[in-house]
Amino acid sequence: MALFKGTILKSIILNTHRALTAGIRYASVEVPTDDSPVEMENPFTKERRQCILCKLNITPDYKNYRLLSQFQSPYTGRIYGRHITGLCKAKQTAVEKEITKAQNCAYMPYTYKDKAFLKDPKLFDPENPVRTHRF
Amino acid sequence: MPTYELAMMLRAMPKVELKNSLLRISNAIFERGGIIRDIENLGFRPLPYKTSAHGLVHREANYFVFKIDTATTVVSDLKEEYSRDVDVVRQRVFKVTEELEHKCTLEEELLPPAYRKEVQKMIEVGKTQVNRFTHKFSYNSGLDYYPFQK
Ligand SMILES: [Zn+2]
Repeated sequence: MALFKGTILKSIILNTHRALTAGIRYASVEVPTDDSPVEMENPFTKERRQCILCKLNITPDYKNYRLLSQFQSPYTGRIYGRHITGLCKAKQTAVEKEITKAQNCAYMPYTYKDKAFLKDPKLFDPENPVRTHRF
Repeated sequence: MPTYELAMMLRAMPKVELKNSLLRISNAIFERGGIIRDIENLGFRPLPYKTSAHGLVHREANYFVFKIDTATTVVSDLKEEYSRDVDVVRQRVFKVTEELEHKCTLEEELLPPAYRKEVQKMIEVGKTQVNRFTHKFSYNSGLDYYPFQK
């Protein structure tokens, strides 16, 4: 009999405890204090990198052969690859397309860079590509 | 917006003749019901490579760009006419395309390979290509010798 009483008492105590904790949790959700955490974006995310043509909003054009010649090797007239120019895919293909157009129109030479443009500012360093290559 | 750009290289000649040949070129467009929006003069400068046209070697040229609106069927006709013109050293016709709204994807391209979409796609394709040559030669196929190296 005594044992039976004991179990009842225990269960009552346990139940009240449960109710108490539930009540506390409920209250904490309901009333936010000024010290509670605030929903916000990650302040440590880095700024989105952009290629130079996207940043300055330039669309390559075959008539602007001076700009296009900056993506050409001064030794062989070859178009530098994406790992050197640091352009995004779309802009690189656009540049390559416009260069072939300009070369076709005799605005730009095929096998060398126009010597008037040799001292133009460098947009990138061919010696330090973004991705390593085998040359 | 013009539909076509005519890039014309005209031979070195005095101004009066140049004017006449420009008139001839534009009249050819007008006769076929086209419109000229703009004529750009990119100047007289040396060609980056020598070009031979109509039995003469040219090393300099007058550069012009015509921005025109014409029917698509007329373009080949125009090209043919200019190819017969003795003053035209070189000519190209380009269709003008509208600028598309484009967002830079450099950030995604600079991610490590495992995070790049195209690489993930390649891996998926590669998974379907394993054990492609598992077909075993059956000796009862009529050939009385084994055709491969053992
Ligand atoms: Zn870009």
